[in-house]
Amino acid sequence: MGEGIKWSPYLEKMREQMDQLKLSEIKEWSGHDITPAREFKTAQVQGGFKAFHAEKIEKIGVGSFYFNKEIHYGFCTIIPDEDYDLPMFVSQWEEGEKEIRFLVDIMPTVDSLIDEEYRKRYLESVQPLWEKYASLPGICPEESDAIRSLCSIIYTAAKVPIDKEGLRLAALAPHTEYLKSYLNFLQEAYSIKDDTRRKEVKRKRGVIRDVLRKRFSGEIVCDSVSEALEGNLQEQMVAILF
Amino acid sequence: MARLGWNDMVDFAKVICDEYKLFEGIELVPLETYEGMDTKPAWEFKAPMASGFYKPYLIKGSDKIEKITIGELHYMGRAKYCALNMTATDDYDLPIFACEFDETAPRVGVTTDFMPTVDIAVHEDYLKKYYSPIAGLWRKYRTIPGFTKEGRCLVQRRYGPWPWARETLSPFSLDGRVEEKEDRKKVMEAVVAYARVWLDLLEKAEPISDPEYKQEMLKRKKTMQKYYRDLDPGGEVMKKIFGEGKHHLFVSLVF
Repeated sequence: MGEGIKWSPYLEKMREQMDQLKLSEIKEWSGHDITPAREFKTAQVQGGFKAFHAEKIEKIGVGSFYFNKEIHYGFCTIIPDEDYDLPMFVSQWEEGEKEIRFLVDIMPTVDSLIDEEYRKRYLESVQPLWEKYASLPGICPEESDAIRSLCSIIYTAAKVPIDKEGLRLAALAPHTEYLKSYLNFLQEAYSIKDDTRRKEVKRKRGVIRDVLRKRFSGEIVCDSVSEALEGNLQEQMVAILF
Repeated sequence: MARLGWNDMVDFAKVICDEYKLFEGIELVPLETYEGMDTKPAWEFKAPMASGFYKPYLIKGSDKIEKITIGELHYMGRAKYCALNMTATDDYDLPIFACEFDETAPRVGVTTDFMPTVDIAVHEDYLKKYYSPIAGLWRKYRTIPGFTKEGRCLVQRRYGPWPWARETLSPFSLDGRVEEKEDRKKVMEAVVAYARVWLDLLEKAEPISDPEYKQEMLKRKKTMQKYYRDLDPGGEVMKKIFGEGKHHLFVSLVF
């Protein structure tokens, strides 16, 4: 299985967008060397993950891997610097022979029901993309209750049935388009001046990261894939992404 | 696509109260004054183009209820705009139970939800406490034809043109457009199933003890109420039919 599949160029397309930023690689996270995850190959998994720093951004995590040459996983996250109230960019990609499951979102770091200005700037501005991709086959809510609870009003998730090859690229489009929108926010982002605001952002971004870390194994990747990530490979991936 | 005649449409209040007996074992008492307003003009109303009722209640012997409103607005013999709202008092952080059920000959547009009174992303305990009891129901009923169509599950999308309204929804909302008669009935089953869970949660609810958390909750709750009372697109039509005063009373009872 998997041999004849023309996998989507997830990593290449996401990196293409990132190249407009001045990136510097992060090699250590919380005192741990994360460079072994740059490139790895075990009996069941093969791939690579890297973390980067950029202006106004604490960490960009990006990578992909193949499981038994049957499932192609891709991830891209952008965690803004804590001085900014920018939302978080989260993209998850799980591609099989017959179906692609994905989630892409721009997760608010404040309560976007209350903060109307924030909602207009970061979410409503992306609403045309949300509307555009509503017509994708297999559009559906994110399955994980915990992760769906973090999502914004403009998240896009789907289980796209691959009954023609063009759908692989169609399913990839929301990721690159949401990422483009996110990168545009960076130019106009300004640092937080208000301590109450800083506290609110700190609390919410902390919870989002914590939930995503805890849900990586079992919900973001299934248990069998998680078990195949030998040694501390999974810990390194989680450190890179969240 | 089914087009239902007036007599085949859902008798919203009757189905909830008489067929499903949602409030059996609970003594509802009329709420005569709400936010300083005499509610009696809403109990039964009639205008040249519309008639109906919004009946607000409290639960006898309970200090946990701000209002339970059940209502129907019948418009020109062509459309029914129905609602069930259950809101706890400001001492409790229960989500707001909200159901909007708008029926015309070709379809029902419906939204049923537990609208969170705190930011659900931040409060993991809130998610567990109030939403794990409906997670199974959400998975079951989101497959109703209309909520799911041609392999696409479209919940959380009915309020597409109104981002402020989508912000009020939980990740467990059942919303969409349903056409067939049997599916409309299934929607009512879902509404009642959610409402029963809410009443059960109400019974178990304890007042908020943390003043900071209460302040946070109230800020969000009042923002939601203000949004619906000021911005609901149905509001303008109501104003034209009933005038400003009654409009304010009606929308305050419904949300």
